[in-house]
Amino acid sequence: MSSLIIPCYIKTKWDINCLDRLLDSVQQQSQPFDKVYLIDDASPLQYSVRHNFIEYIQLNENGGPARARNIGIDKAINTGAEYLLFTDHDCILDKEWNKHMNSFLITTAFGAVGGMTYSWGKTLLDYYHDINGTLSGKWLLPDRKELWYMPSLNFGIKSFVVEQFGFDERFPTAAGEDVDLCLRMRSKYKIGFCPEAKLWHDYGYKNSISGFNKFMKLFKKYKSSSATVYEGHTVLMWDASESIYKGNIHEPNIQS
Amino acid sequence: MSLIYSLKKNRQGVSHAIYDYLGEIRPFAKRVKNPLLKIPMVFLKTVEWCIYRWYKTPIRRFYGVKGNELIYMITNACNDRCPKCGIWEKPEPQSQHLMISHFISCLKKLHHNLYQVTLTGGEPLLFKKDVMLIAEEAKKLDVPMVIVSNARFLDEEFLNRYKALGHILVISVDSVEREKWNEFRGRKNFDIVMPKIMLAKEILGDQLRIQSVLSKESAEEIPKVIEWCKQQGIQHNTQLYQDFGAYNWHNPTTNEEVKYNNDTPCAARKNICVYPNGDVVKCFDHRRIPLAKEPLGNIAKQDIIEILSTKRSTQISKIMKTCDFPCKNMSCNKPQTLLFN
Repeated sequence: MSSLIIPCYIKTKWDINCLDRLLDSVQQQSQPFDKVYLIDDASPLQYSVRHNFIEYIQLNENGGPARARNIGIDKAINTGAEYLLFTDHDCILDKEWNKHMNSFLITTAFGAVGGMTYSWGKTLLDYYHDINGTLSGKWLLPDRKELWYMPSLNFGIKSFVVEQFGFDERFPTAAGEDVDLCLRMRSKYKIGFCPEAKLWHDYGYKNSISGFNKFMKLFKKYKSSSATVYEGHTVLMWDASESIYKGNIHEPNIQS
Repeated sequence: MSLIYSLKKNRQGVSHAIYDYLGEIRPFAKRVKNPLLKIPMVFLKTVEWCIYRWYKTPIRRFYGVKGNELIYMITNACNDRCPKCGIWEKPEPQSQHLMISHFISCLKKLHHNLYQVTLTGGEPLLFKKDVMLIAEEAKKLDVPMVIVSNARFLDEEFLNRYKALGHILVISVDSVEREKWNEFRGRKNFDIVMPKIMLAKEILGDQLRIQSVLSKESAEEIPKVIEWCKQQGIQHNTQLYQDFGAYNWHNPTTNEEVKYNNDTPCAARKNICVYPNGDVVKCFDHRRIPLAKEPLGNIAKQDIIEILSTKRSTQISKIMKTCDFPCKNMSCNKPQTLLFN
């Protein structure tokens, strides 16, 4: 039984369109999810969702995506979900995404899995993210048999693993909470990579010039979370790693 | 996140920055197949690298400061009988004493980020052989070590070997007067231990420190100890008396209400404490926090990283970051540079 958990914080019309587009792609899955939880993290903008297959949870106050995901995790586990998948409202799922993520978790011993993330836009900045592997996770070097880290926008985890290692709610924004989770859970379990599980992420760049400021803000946001990562960890396992991009997804060493 | 992170120990300064930059840029540039896009892509990568390297970097990370102190209470047993301390009343049974190999494995696993390993007790030198094994391993791993001892079992051979390893020895002294000494220690050993302290001073030189515990009974004596240390040229530190949640120590003798300074750096993030049986806690005063009462794990049965990565460990760190208990005054909560003078 698999559940999809989507935290969202809707600030603009663009966010509403993104969410609508994501839910369309959720609806078109070749293998439907058993449950889909949309956790609204006290969004400032009112909106309605036309997709009736979701379980909508409205939070009274904003607590960040880590808290929203934890609420979704509790709900999903209480209804018997064995595999929990996560994505964000600004993503678009490939129609086979659930099938591949689920099958990977069922057939392998990995505690968690990450899929392949591509940029939705066509600007130079989007191209940069694709070859940089900004949101595609990282191989653990030197073997590339497992992942060092996988962003939570394209992530799946087994329920007994997430029961031991939930998201740390000290992270107030969508930055660092997934790094933190991966660092902790890797002390006991491995994270696998499933290149067939594809999704697209919309960074929201209108063009390469006007998007540059957004590009800077994105990395500043990620970097700002590092203090919380250091704060929360007595020991950090900064193993050598390499970001994933189209050119290294099919490594000969990958463990299936 | 950055493209590649390579673990390079103790690499700092400008050369490190250049090495780090090139280490990021070279493999990235190879990914760009279109030659026209090389320059704009490398520019964007440089922007990202600068942000990750310079923007809001935690200062201790920026300067490569090592973050953890590993504190091993090697035994509860002690050859002194100090009335204010109850730890010697409950020596661990031999069967429960941690095998030294487990601690050495733990040390090896953590050494990259350790600024110090501290051996305490009880009296650590009751296990002199194990202490020396740890001291030698710490030297090999380039981790400074501190032993807190009552000096009763010091001898020339041990001191010479210890001197060569370059580690620090801290001797507990609450009085330099025979009668008070014997009263505080519960044993008449002033005439045995004092010559050993002098021998330690002669052999270890500035690797020797003296530490006193400030309690009601020792309050008048400590200024004399400080004065004596000045005369001898030995660095001294005063530690406030703690009762460890009234679990081990049973004689509350603090002279006056101690004010806790909220600004004092808390040990929650950095300390990794190991009991004689291998149980791991974040602070030896953990029993004051309900969630932290039970140990996080045991290094004889589990990997230390696994123990420190559990959800409960994170939650305890969070509580300890803002807790305001008497242990805030312990030396393990203070920057090392401020300790001895």
